[in-house]
Amino acid sequence: MNRMFAAGLAISVLLVPAVARAQTAASMLERGVRAYGVHEYDGGAWLLRRALAVEGPGALSTAEASKGLMYLAATEVARNQRDSALAAARRLIVLDARYRPDQTFPPDVIAVLQEARRAAPAVSIRAPGDTAIRPGSDVFVVRLGATTSPEVTATIMGADGRMVRTLYTGAFRDSIDLRWNGLDASGNPPPDGRYAIVVAPTAREQRRTGGGATWSLRLPLELARPAVDTTPLPAAPPDSLLRPERGDMKGAIRALAPGIAAGAAIIILPKAVASGERASSARLIVGGSVAIAGIAAFLSRHPGQSLSSNTQYNRNLRDSWKRNVAEISRRNADRVRQAKLIIRPGAPTLVVGEAP
Amino acid sequence: MKRSLAAIIFGAIALPATLHSQGMQFTFTGVASQEIVQSHIDATSTRFAGLMLGGEGTLTSNRLLVRLRYAEGRINPKGGSSGGLLGTGSTESRDVVEGDALVGYRAMPWLTLWAGPSARAYTLGAKNERWLIWTGRATARGTLLPGRMQTFVELYGAFSGNVGDPPLKVGGSGLNGGLEVRLGETGAFWGRLGYRMESAHAQGLRETVELVTLSLVYGVPQ
Repeated sequence: MNRMFAAGLAISVLLVPAVARAQTAASMLERGVRAYGVHEYDGGAWLLRRALAVEGPGALSTAEASKGLMYLAATEVARNQRDSALAAARRLIVLDARYRPDQTFPPDVIAVLQEARRAAPAVSIRAPGDTAIRPGSDVFVVRLGATTSPEVTATIMGADGRMVRTLYTGAFRDSIDLRWNGLDASGNPPPDGRYAIVVAPTAREQRRTGGGATWSLRLPLELARPAVDTTPLPAAPPDSLLRPERGDMKGAIRALAPGIAAGAAIIILPKAVASGERASSARLIVGGSVAIAGIAAFLSRHPGQSLSSNTQYNRNLRDSWKRNVAEISRRNADRVRQAKLIIRPGAPTLVVGEAP
Repeated sequence: MKRSLAAIIFGAIALPATLHSQGMQFTFTGVASQEIVQSHIDATSTRFAGLMLGGEGTLTSNRLLVRLRYAEGRINPKGGSSGGLLGTGSTESRDVVEGDALVGYRAMPWLTLWAGPSARAYTLGAKNERWLIWTGRATARGTLLPGRMQTFVELYGAFSGNVGDPPLKVGGSGLNGGLEVRLGETGAFWGRLGYRMESAHAQGLRETVELVTLSLVYGVPQ
């Protein structure tokens, strides 16, 4: 019976590249556990690693991942791969510091688990699956667990090592929920990309533990935001809409001509309109005033003369455009801010012996 | 006259907001003018002068315009022998009422063509002298300083008209021109200095009216 199972397992391992995509992480986990039960350790280790490597919606739950890591550690012990077993046990402790195996494993497997527990900082981090939150309104919650009462700092770091926001600083006992509202330290939603929640002991905690090996616990986060329908910003006013800010001869002539023409018409034409009548000198006063106004307009627009009214007009036009851009930018920012932020947590990792 | 002016001012305040909401522009003008009238009947001539007060409203919708003008006042004899249809030898002051009702079309940004009746009436006791002339007009506008100062010249001729009873056929022509200056850089009021000369003639009659006007315009002059 066992041989038949082993043969089937071997065939399935050979065929895995083709069918692996069709298998769920949970089914691979179950088959890996069964492989351990029938002492088919190589294939079992392969299946368990495959199951643990699945990310996204089909990934194992925390309980399943803990079970998978426990069996992987046991399988590696059986394969005499103690380092690999210890690595799997460390991952297990990071995932669930209080994990208790649900079946009796050989003493050497339990010993590996105990060794990992002793070496680990006894802090675990547990995150929900993919979560969509509205930055500033909703919160993304991860749970820190510990078997002791460590004093830690939990921060969100960018891929470039820049600190985005501190989530928690202080000691805690048993467990604590870290809540992030999706905003950085300045109150703005960070851009899409890769981030990590990094938990590390405080300096005081390191001194308290005798300056032992430093550690940091990292929970990778991928932030993504669905495309938001925003209004395009208006283009700057084209030159064709702007008025010349310095006078030129053409503009000066265009200011002079109507004044001279109208003034001459007012002075001369009354004689034609009322031939034989003696027009009063009022026409000279009015016509002369119009002509003088034309000359004044000519002088105010002569080449090189600063045209303050045009400068003001252009300034108003530009200011209006800037106000428009600012208003649309503000509305777009509101829309982006209202858009949900998708947070995809990855598998937590523990780094020992390095500064966080 | 005070009631008429009050009604015009009230209308000028209430109308613009209503019309602006319908895509139309309304311009109101208050006018004060010194009028000189030279009246000739056969070889007799009379010269009158006096102050006229009135108002003018212009309604603009795209290229179409409507302009109404009304003014009234009293003119006094200033020499010559009094005459005209009201009778010779009179040296008494006369009440004058005049107005236009014109419809315009803006053919070009600087040129507007108008048509409509102009009326003028003199009153001396129980006697009236009424001139009614249908005119065609062309108004040209030129900008001296954009948004600050502009000038205009309006020429018109009579299509037809009549005066007196029995009516006599009337002909004539006229000129109106001047300067408009905005009061304040962004103000809604403009000041206008204008000169108007018009001449009308009928069988044995000729009348010339010359006015120097000072106006206060609310809205952009059209």
